[in-house]
Amino acid sequence: MKKYLILALLLTLGFALRAQSTDPFVTKCVLNAGADAKYLKDFRIQLGKAAAQGELRYRANMSLWKNTKYRFTMCSTDDSKGQLILSIKDDANKIILSSFDKKTGKTYSFVDFVCNKSGIYQLNYDFSGGEQGSGVGVVSMVK
Amino acid sequence: MKLKLNFLIIAILVVFACGNSGTKGNEFVFPEADSIPLSEAEKLSPEAIEDISKNISSPVEIANLLQLLEVPFSQEYLATSIDANKESTNFNKAMKLGILGADLGYLNMYEKTGSSLDVLSSIRKLSEDLKVGQFFDFEIIKRLSQNKSNLDSLLFISIESYEQIDTYLRNNDRGQLSALMIIGVWIEGQYLATQVVSKFPDKMLQDRIGEQKIILNDLIMLIAPYCNKSTEFNDLCRDLQSLKDTYRDVRITYTQGEPVASEKDGGLVITQTETSVVDMSSDRLNSIVKLTSDIRNRLISIN
Repeated sequence: MKKYLILALLLTLGFALRAQSTDPFVTKCVLNAGADAKYLKDFRIQLGKAAAQGELRYRANMSLWKNTKYRFTMCSTDDSKGQLILSIKDDANKIILSSFDKKTGKTYSFVDFVCNKSGIYQLNYDFSGGEQGSGVGVVSMVK
Repeated sequence: MKLKLNFLIIAILVVFACGNSGTKGNEFVFPEADSIPLSEAEKLSPEAIEDISKNISSPVEIANLLQLLEVPFSQEYLATSIDANKESTNFNKAMKLGILGADLGYLNMYEKTGSSLDVLSSIRKLSEDLKVGQFFDFEIIKRLSQNKSNLDSLLFISIESYEQIDTYLRNNDRGQLSALMIIGVWIEGQYLATQVVSKFPDKMLQDRIGEQKIILNDLIMLIAPYCNKSTEFNDLCRDLQSLKDTYRDVRITYTQGEPVASEKDGGLVITQTETSVVDMSSDRLNSIVKLTSDIRNRLISIN
């Protein structure tokens, strides 16, 4: 009996591990990046409501290379209160792009970045208004 | 929403590479010390290590650049001499898993499905030997590689599988294997670029090779805690340090500028006007090409 329980547990674990790579929400977002986009990375983000609005809360570093056009695609789940937004800083902490236009209040679902300076960049994600939400940020290359 | 909690990291505050490399004024410099003290490398937080692993240039990006430059595909750059059945140590298995991962990226980008099946079979054997085979869905990857319209899905599944292995190894006290895999991916991508530049001396490709100086120090940081683990690790650390020494005279400078924004097809387009400029003599490039080849060929020949 114990043998069967262990087997069932292993099968369940195996299924769970496999399910990680085929999350339909992430796959959909990857494919939404466009037919000409070639996938590089994704960042999966889940945040509660921020106590106070300020800096974007999810941070990750990524090397970006000169003479490459990157596409940053942001997808939020339907139950998110805010939309996933992105800003990118260079290694001098200077903001070089934001998917949220403060002047107009417009949020872009994707941003193309023509990189001319190779280096390590900081990707900052959050949900608009510091709201609670779940989403994925996909990084691709485009021609 | 079915996102797994272990992927969700809230408010990670990471200091890039623990301040060991970066820009100084308008130039990229290595840290002052010639070598990284072991104690400092051991201080790397799990978040910093994860960051370094994400920083490493993807071989897919190198292959993309080659396609942009209309460089034809060549089988001779691949590590075809690797025999997954003959690898005896976990060091070799993890290193070669990385090397073959880079080859898979190159093959995928050029849509060479016949050869990619051979590489996939070796990857399967190595990953199963390392007890990480569960992260590869070989049947899906095989099916996608046979259908040329699914390139993006193929890249996604392949890269995702490697990232899951990397995370799993680091979370299960097998960080040394994760470091080897990452270095294997990088060294093969570097080998590919340096071999191509010898035949197609394009400035853009030369610059990309020179710019690897930016992340070389991070790779050394990643492996530093394991340098005294065995002769194999010690040799690898020595090789990477030699490569760093060869890169020392490569100058990367920056020009200033403000990004330019426009709208296209409902999306935002940002064009960076700041630029990075690589200054590298042809002698220096030749030394990098030679040393990269020596290191990579030594790594694929040992088992």
